[in-house]
Amino acid sequence: MLYMKLYIDQISEGYVILITGLLIVFGALLLLTAFFKFGLPVLLYIYKIITKGRDKKIKDISPNVNEQFTGEIAAAISTAIHLYLKEQHDEENAVLTIKQARKLYSPWSSKIYGTHNRLR
Amino acid sequence: MKKLFIIFSVLSLLVFIRPALGINTNSNAQSTLPVSTVEQVEENSSESFVDEAFDGIKQFYSYTGFANAEGGNLIMIFIGIIFIYLGIKFDYEPLLLIPIGTGVILGNIPFVAGNQTGIYETGSVLNYLYFGVVKGIYPPLIFLGIGAMTDFSSLIANPKLMLLGAAAQIGVFATFLGALYLGFNLPEAGAIGIIGGADGPTAIFLSSKLANGINILPDGTTVKNLIGPIAIAAYSYMALVPVIQPPIMKLLTSKKERLIRMKPPRAVSQKEKMIFPIVALLLTTFISPSALPLLGMLFFGNLLKESGRTERLADTARTKLIDIVTILLGVTVGASTQADIFITKDSMLIFGLGAISFVIATMGGLLFAKFMNLFLKGDEKINPLIGAAGVSAVPDSARVVHAEGLKADKNNYLLMHAMAPNVAGVIGSAIAAGIILSFLG
Repeated sequence: MLYMKLYIDQISEGYVILITGLLIVFGALLLLTAFFKFGLPVLLYIYKIITKGRDKKIKDISPNVNEQFTGEIAAAISTAIHLYLKEQHDEENAVLTIKQARKLYSPWSSKIYGTHNRLR
Repeated sequence: MKKLFIIFSVLSLLVFIRPALGINTNSNAQSTLPVSTVEQVEENSSESFVDEAFDGIKQFYSYTGFANAEGGNLIMIFIGIIFIYLGIKFDYEPLLLIPIGTGVILGNIPFVAGNQTGIYETGSVLNYLYFGVVKGIYPPLIFLGIGAMTDFSSLIANPKLMLLGAAAQIGVFATFLGALYLGFNLPEAGAIGIIGGADGPTAIFLSSKLANGINILPDGTTVKNLIGPIAIAAYSYMALVPVIQPPIMKLLTSKKERLIRMKPPRAVSQKEKMIFPIVALLLTTFISPSALPLLGMLFFGNLLKESGRTERLADTARTKLIDIVTILLGVTVGASTQADIFITKDSMLIFGLGAISFVIATMGGLLFAKFMNLFLKGDEKINPLIGAAGVSAVPDSARVVHAEGLKADKNNYLLMHAMAPNVAGVIGSAIAAGIILSFLG
């Protein structure tokens, strides 16, 4: 009987954890959502007021300057880059074989010449 | 070398044909004779030498895996090989399945206990490596790397998608309740529930705190050690996300819903990206301080990435560091499945619960996305498929969503949108782990 009681208690505690846990998880992520939806723009706005336009990085890229730069041009450039990067190398055989020279004697590697030309 | 080999083979041949020749002496009486009498070619001493060799080989055999193998070991080794096969052939999370599969084989090589070999024997090398799992050291390090990899910009651009990550956590709590009904204790059930978070490191972290086989319950019994089964269940279902999720997605969404196109997320400024980790760290850890090791490292890693000044640190965290920890974690978690500890009824129950929890989590995400659509109009509407990415399993479930979206409409690219609930799911499951830990820890 004691075991049964323990068992039921566990289940009811489980439900408590289930409900509260889910609520907390939702609450936490809801809070994050709310912050990034409303809080962040306010923060950034305040930052902008404080720094008073010192921050010009976003303005640097104004759409008016690049009016002539259309998507077609971008596509052409990127295609060119792609082709260049892809095709700058020929396919080469990676297997190297060293063939033995047929000539058995060659004065190139002869030691006897080495003994003649001593440095003075 | 050749001579040695011949001598050895002749000796072993002798040993094996001895019973056939009918030589059966009492080995106990003569085993005390020293082996150095080999040079004496008397009948007596050569007999004893053969006996000694035979005893040695017998003892050697008793130490080999062939003598100690049990059915469980062989089954687990087979499972390990299946893991490796799945990883290589189907490309299901090979970075996890291949280390874990190898670990499963390592942990199930039969051995004689007491020689500091096995992962559960104090002082063995594997035991030292396993320390990082038992004490929950590896998971936060993995989270550091994940933070340094993750781009939260799609989440910042569309914060409401964060709720999908919360909705999928219903899988955690539903599994928790299911485990309670199956007769697990509260802490054990909590650790099992987190499988529904679809996040391997979180699952290991929580089970190392709650179901580690050390903690003592109020009624005096110790909790079971469920780290191995929970970790294996979590990782194997994460790898099986491409199999589990698509049928549920098709079941719960109509063709029309799957065709919904979402407007591309707005550009997010670097400032916002920098503020995100700090604010999210503060908010989430104030709410759920128990998840501090996980969330702290996650957002720390993200700050390293977004600050723009610590590219070197971020680079290490997302490449070398996470690789090292993944190797150690995978192998030790795999090796912790030693058959005599792993093959139990509990493990089977955990595997069943794990599958159900993934299904419930996916359903939770999908249904909540449909629910949110009731309140959204026009191009604000979200494609309910991305709700399925609310189970974390980064980035696999987002990829599955993307693939399913492409099946319905060849030009509907959902990947960026799906990443938002996906990373929110990581945060959500870490918070859920913190909550469970604070309730039951």
